[in-house]
Amino acid sequence: MITRLIALSVLLILPLPIVIVVLSSFTSAGYLSFPIHGVSLRWYGEFLGSADWLRVLGVSAVLALIGAFVSTAASFGAAWAVVRHRMRFGATYETILLTPLIFPHAAIGVIMIVTLSSLGWLGTFTGLVLVHCILTIPYAYRPIVAALRKSDPALEEAAASLGARPWRTFWTVSLPAARPGLVTSFLFSFIISFDEVTVTLFVVGPHVMTLPVQVFSEVLESASPVIAAVSATLVLFTTAIVFVLDRFIGLQFFVERD
Amino acid sequence: MPKPLRTALLLAPSAILMGVFLIGLVRLVSSSLMIDGQFDITHYVDILNRPDYVQMLGRTLRTAALTTLFSLLIGFPTAYYVARYKGNRNFLLLLIIFPWLVSIVVRSYGWMVILGPRGLINSFITWTGLVERPLRLMYNDFGVILGLVHVLCPFMIIAILSVLMQIPRSLEEASMSLGGRPAYSFRTVLLPLSLPGILTGITLVYLMATGAIVTPLLLGGLRNTMLGTEIFQEVMHFFNYPKAAALATVLLVTALVVVIPIQIFERWLARRLREGESH
Repeated sequence: MITRLIALSVLLILPLPIVIVVLSSFTSAGYLSFPIHGVSLRWYGEFLGSADWLRVLGVSAVLALIGAFVSTAASFGAAWAVVRHRMRFGATYETILLTPLIFPHAAIGVIMIVTLSSLGWLGTFTGLVLVHCILTIPYAYRPIVAALRKSDPALEEAAASLGARPWRTFWTVSLPAARPGLVTSFLFSFIISFDEVTVTLFVVGPHVMTLPVQVFSEVLESASPVIAAVSATLVLFTTAIVFVLDRFIGLQFFVERD
Repeated sequence: MPKPLRTALLLAPSAILMGVFLIGLVRLVSSSLMIDGQFDITHYVDILNRPDYVQMLGRTLRTAALTTLFSLLIGFPTAYYVARYKGNRNFLLLLIIFPWLVSIVVRSYGWMVILGPRGLINSFITWTGLVERPLRLMYNDFGVILGLVHVLCPFMIIAILSVLMQIPRSLEEASMSLGGRPAYSFRTVLLPLSLPGILTGITLVYLMATGAIVTPLLLGGLRNTMLGTEIFQEVMHFFNYPKAAALATVLLVTALVVVIPIQIFERWLARRLREGESH
């Protein structure tokens, strides 16, 4: 009974602040309030009419695409070596790949400042890509390694014994078998990167800014409802990704243990 | 191409990324221990000698511990309810995973809209006439902990849920039908078997709470700083990188002192559970 009461309140409250932000973005007032005073799309107009906001949105989207692609590819290589080549110290290597998860974000932020400034990449797009790849690898690795462990190496052996060359076996047998894992990794990394703010705010610069970091600094300085409109757009991206994940892989994936 | 070379090529991209990270970690710690190329622990002595820093450390630990505790207290029942739900479980999963994947900056901002002076709660209670002036619901510990619990408890729920889904319902029923009271079967069956998930959840929530910046800054303001927000200010406002590096090292230590023993315990527990299965 009490379990049910707690569970239902938690399940109700978890999406609540997000719903409130989306609703408050439709206010016609010049200040933020809830319930809203009057309905309008003026703050969406301000967001989409601003070259600065659109540029930042573009940076975030391209960054997340490149980061997700690199992370997924790097994780695929690592997972292939661990699972298919049965490399020595594979379990240790897996633990190393997960290390970014067991460090507090504020500390990772300073680590990234130290790293990027020694490479001369602080405040550059290249630097952001590097940081986001490191942050998303733990998320990208797990779905791929799970998919590879599930697929049967005997199929590849069969293809090879029927005379398929290694590359052909790879393209026609191995890759399709790993596809669900690759898609999950890519989408998962994309959304982690697209939403990341705590570490990113240390490494952005005057010339490159991401959408969540821009929202963060605007919230600190002003209370303009345009922030709600931008936030609602971030929510829209997440909704799209969750929808695709649900359709193609199923949300069950997130609560499975390998 | 020989196999070892192929393995090395496959590992190269991820190894480079992790190498960059680990080298950065070493450089962070060493830069906090150096002044003008000489070994020097002045930064640490300074931190421990300043009462406001010691107070801030205490606040960080207290906030992180309370956030972890509340996340566990609400996370376990929620995970249990979802794991045993007989209807459309996918919808319940959606209610957990969707908010989890929305940026923390948006979720913290949402709480500002709810708790703020013109927000949902204050609009309601001033409308009812219960109070004349809006209540101060944020820029205090209440706001920060509420925000952190909301942002981090999905990690707890997901970690516990993934373990609970593997525990067959029949095991609980067996213990009950043998005459065990619910509390007894919880203590002897459910709790020990779900402990690995609980430990993973505690680890993740504690880590993210100690190193949080966005939620404490938006809901707590600039005055009552925590380790994460203090590091943010040293870097962004004072450009004091060595100080920030020393604070970040302190943060690493406070996190790892808690996390590494839990991880060791978790491994030991996993081994024992596996041995139990084979008997």
